[in-house]
Amino acid sequence: MIRFVCRLTHYVSINIHLLKENRMSFEILLLVSIVAGFVGAMSGMGGGVILIPALTLLGMDIKHAIAISIVSVIATSSGSASAYVRDRITNLKVGMFLEMFTIVGALVGAAITLISSRGPLFIIFGLVLLGSWLTLLLQRHEMWRPIEHQDKFSNWLELNGEYFDHASNETIAYCGGRAYLGGPLMFGAGLIAGLLGIGAGALKVLIHDLVMGLPPKVSTTTSNLIIGVTALAGTSVYLAAGMISPALAAPVILGIVAGAFIGTRILVKLTNQSVRLFFLIILAILGVEMIIRGVGTIA
Amino acid sequence: MESDEKRSIEYKMDILVGYILLTGVLVSIVLIATGVVWHYVDTGHLGFDYSIAGMNLFQFVLNEIHQFTQFHLRPRLFVNLGIAALMLTPYIRVLASMLFFALAEQNYKYTTFTAIVLMVLTYGLFLR
Repeated sequence: MIRFVCRLTHYVSINIHLLKENRMSFEILLLVSIVAGFVGAMSGMGGGVILIPALTLLGMDIKHAIAISIVSVIATSSGSASAYVRDRITNLKVGMFLEMFTIVGALVGAAITLISSRGPLFIIFGLVLLGSWLTLLLQRHEMWRPIEHQDKFSNWLELNGEYFDHASNETIAYCGGRAYLGGPLMFGAGLIAGLLGIGAGALKVLIHDLVMGLPPKVSTTTSNLIIGVTALAGTSVYLAAGMISPALAAPVILGIVAGAFIGTRILVKLTNQSVRLFFLIILAILGVEMIIRGVGTIA
Repeated sequence: MESDEKRSIEYKMDILVGYILLTGVLVSIVLIATGVVWHYVDTGHLGFDYSIAGMNLFQFVLNEIHQFTQFHLRPRLFVNLGIAALMLTPYIRVLASMLFFALAEQNYKYTTFTAIVLMVLTYGLFLR
C-alpha cells in the first residue's frame, strides 16, 4: 500500500513536471482523449468540443490543442461516415457540393488561428460551446419539413435522393433546396471548424435541416462525411506550420477512436434524457470557463 | 431500366467510399498502435519526445517512404506513417469519387465539383 502511494506520488510529480514544460505524458493524453471521444460519441457532438477545453485546462497551449484536435476529427468522422455511407443514407452529391465551400472556409479559419492572439480564440470557443448548449436545450424533435418546390439551382445540382428507413420500413424520397444559401453558409461552418479545430457538426446539421430541408438522418450522416474533408483542409495548414506533433497526436488519435467506439456501443443502453442533461451541464461549465479565461487573457 | 442502372452505379460508389474510409482509419490506427507498442517494448515507457518541423504532407510522406525503403525502421516511422495514412484517407476518398463521377456515372457536372475540391485540398497539402 505504502509502495503504491509512493509510486503514485512519484507519477503525479513527473506529470506535473511535464505540464510545466508544456508537454504532456502519453497516459494523461490517452485518458483525456478516451473520455472526450466517449462523451462526444454519446452526445453526437464529436470529441473536439470536449477535448480542447480539457487539454487547455491541463495546461496545453490552445493553438496546439486545436491543431491536435483537428487531426483526430478526421479519424472519428471517417470512421462513422464509413458505416453511414454503406447504409446508403448519406447523399454524396450534397456532400461534394457543400465540401467546395467548407474546405475553403477551413483553410481560412486555420490561417486566422495561426496569426490570432489566444484571448479571442478562448472567447470564440466559449461562445460556440454556449451556442451548442442552446441548440441542445431547444432540441427540436426530429421534425422534417420537406421542400415543396425545389428551386432551379438546387434542381440543376441534382440534390434529390431517397433512402430506406429501417424504423418505418419504407423508402423516403426527398429533395434538397436553397443550395444558393446553403453553400455560402457552409463556408462559415468550415471557417469555425478550421478556426477552432472542431468538426462543427451541429452547425452543419442545422444548415442542412433548416436551410436545405434535408431529412434528419440524411443531414447528420452527410455532415459527417463533409467533416472529414473539412478537417483535412484545416490539418494541412497546421501541419505546414509545424504544429502537428506526432508525440501528442498519437495518443489523442488512439484515445478518441477508442472512446468513440465505446461511446457508440453504450449509447443504446442509456436513456436519451440523462445523456442530454449531463451534456447540458458540461457544455455550460466549459463554455463559461473558456470565456472567463479568454477575457482574463485579454485584460 | 436506365434508372436502375444508375442506381446500381450509385450503390457501387457508396460501397467504395465506405470501404476507403474504413480501410484508411483502420490502417492508420494499426500503424500508430504498432509504433507506440514497439516504442514501449524498446524503452519501457509510452511517451515520445519528438516533433516534426513544418513540412507539407507530400514531403512528409516521401520522407517516411524513403526511410521505409532504407529499412530504417523505427517506432516513430510507424507513428508518422499512421498520421499520414489518416490524412490521406479523405483525400483518396475525394479522388475516388472524382474518378467514379467521371468514368462510371459520366456526370461531368459533379466531376468538375469534385475536381475543385481535390484542387483546393491539394493546394492545402502543398502549403509550406
